[in-house]
Amino acid sequence: MSVPLARRQLLFRKGRAVAGVAGIAAALLLVLALKAIFAGINDRLTAYIDKSGADVIVAQRGVDTMHMTQSALPEQTATAVAAVPGVAEARPILYAPAMIERGEARGIAYLVGDDSGGAPLPMATGRRARAGEIVLERTLAERLDARAGSGVRVFGRTFRVSGEVDGLASILNSVAFVRRQDLARVLESVGVVSYVLVRARPEIGGAELAARIEASVPGVTASTRAAFASSERRVVGDMTTDIVRAMILVGFVIGVAVAGLVAYSATLSQIRDYAVLRAVGLRVRGALALAVAQVGATVAAGFLLALALVWALAAILPRLTPTLVLAIRTADVALALVVAGAVALAAAAFPVLRVARIDPASVFRR
Amino acid sequence: MESTLVRIHNLAKTFGEGETRVEAVRGLDLDLARGEIVLVMGPSGSGKTTFLSMLGGLLRVSAGEIWVNGTDIAALGERELPPFRASTMGFIFQDFNLIAALSARENVEVALNIGGQSGGTARERARGLLESLGTGDRLDFPIEKLSGGEKQRVAIARAVANRPMLILADEPTANLDSHHGAETMRLLRTLAKEEGVTVVIVSHDQRLREIADRVLWLEDGQFKALQALARDPVCGMLIDPAQAPAELESDGETLYFCSSGCRRQYEEERLVAASQ
Repeated sequence: MSVPLARRQLLFRKGRAVAGVAGIAAALLLVLALKAIFAGINDRLTAYIDKSGADVIVAQRGVDTMHMTQSALPEQTATAVAAVPGVAEARPILYAPAMIERGEARGIAYLVGDDSGGAPLPMATGRRARAGEIVLERTLAERLDARAGSGVRVFGRTFRVSGEVDGLASILNSVAFVRRQDLARVLESVGVVSYVLVRARPEIGGAELAARIEASVPGVTASTRAAFASSERRVVGDMTTDIVRAMILVGFVIGVAVAGLVAYSATLSQIRDYAVLRAVGLRVRGALALAVAQVGATVAAGFLLALALVWALAAILPRLTPTLVLAIRTADVALALVVAGAVALAAAAFPVLRVARIDPASVFRR
Repeated sequence: MESTLVRIHNLAKTFGEGETRVEAVRGLDLDLARGEIVLVMGPSGSGKTTFLSMLGGLLRVSAGEIWVNGTDIAALGERELPPFRASTMGFIFQDFNLIAALSARENVEVALNIGGQSGGTARERARGLLESLGTGDRLDFPIEKLSGGEKQRVAIARAVANRPMLILADEPTANLDSHHGAETMRLLRTLAKEEGVTVVIVSHDQRLREIADRVLWLEDGQFKALQALARDPVCGMLIDPAQAPAELESDGETLYFCSSGCRRQYEEERLVAASQ
């Protein structure tokens, strides 16, 4: 058909079309934004691991994450790991969640105690922590108003801020660095390390080295950086899956309600047109296609608007709230597209049923 | 080419069952010639719309046959009827039934699209038709901006767009003033006499008798011979003598009236005429 009938009918009542597109966009934005927020959290969740320079992370046997778990190894483990052929460097770290306070202000951070005070992560400002000093993630430093030289309290002891690192905080938590000996002292766990970060020699792969370490050092689990990060994401994923599913369902229901209502009112207002077109010779199939095309176009426009909005949010929100990072993943866009398709199918049911029952003889009724 | 375009035989339509059963149309027989204009009149509820709907293939018959150009449309399936309607019939409605979301030209073009023409060919044909009907300067106007007469011309252009053999018009002049009503009548007459299109009009409008080759009276679902009907000498309404509310013997002739009011007026006028 060369007359763009579906488009004309859709745009004839512009207010209704805009409301329909906006409603569907809002519903899909719920799905997209939530997925992007969790993806952003996931990215930040493993930022320390990703940037640590380790090819293999060695933990207590059975442990392959940092969050929601605890790993304790004898300090000598680092020496044993360093002796494994293929290991270029083995750095022991202590790791503990901590409340960092300055006056009335406070924030949760994963406190990493290592011998370098934060290497090899680049410093945003200041220098690495020395004895009695702490490096804060920038957003936490801003929240606590704790610039270089300020004092903060951790586990009841005061540390002086020596500098800031950037890009490690999410809306859930932050990361801070102290000297390992300082953390061991406040945790009263001298002679114990949490993890050993291992750098491999160029000639050996991470997976091969991890297997070699597990075979050589008793009581440890060695994971490649990628596997360790993946386990971290899975832990948080398991915690948030139900929330995400619930919100996707909410988004779907809202989308169906909005699209269905728009399709319902649009079809009712166009019933006479459909009857005329049927009388003039349009087949039932053609009339159905016309109805479905309008629903499909509304949902497609809603999807594109939602996508544009989530891109805009991803660009704007981190500037307003640096810890709120939205990561838009292809898989999540595909999921929103599937939700949009399901919304379109469900919302098209009413017009399809109604249009299929149109009596073309009704054109003569007044 | 056979001169008869439409043959209707023993046509019947029944609605409902049991106590609610209504015979809207029964035992209709009718032949329509090519280029003929037939006006179907009758009281409300007489079965005119039902007859028109069945003739247009929009309503299934309960019994009988409707042959249009050699095809029994009563026997056509749901898949075959729409293209048959698109290629053979045109419809004109009392309320114009134009699609408000489309321009004047697009309303005609969409009928051409349904009939199988598309693109520039359809666009040009729609433009040509509207220009020939005097609405060439309203091609891209939205329907709501057109006058009643202009809307009816667009509706007529849509009806004839696919060069139909049969046009079915339902009260085509009812929403028009006398000027535009006369113009519509002229257009229908032209279509029939110059294009050979058969036109069936269902209407209460007495003015349409002027262009009709035949006037049929449909009452209680059956055609009644017009010669058997009497005309009220006061208001001109056609009435069944057997059911006339009032009658009067005058000069050896029986006059029938639609109401006692008309008979009283007739008697008063006669008295006035006699006294002069």
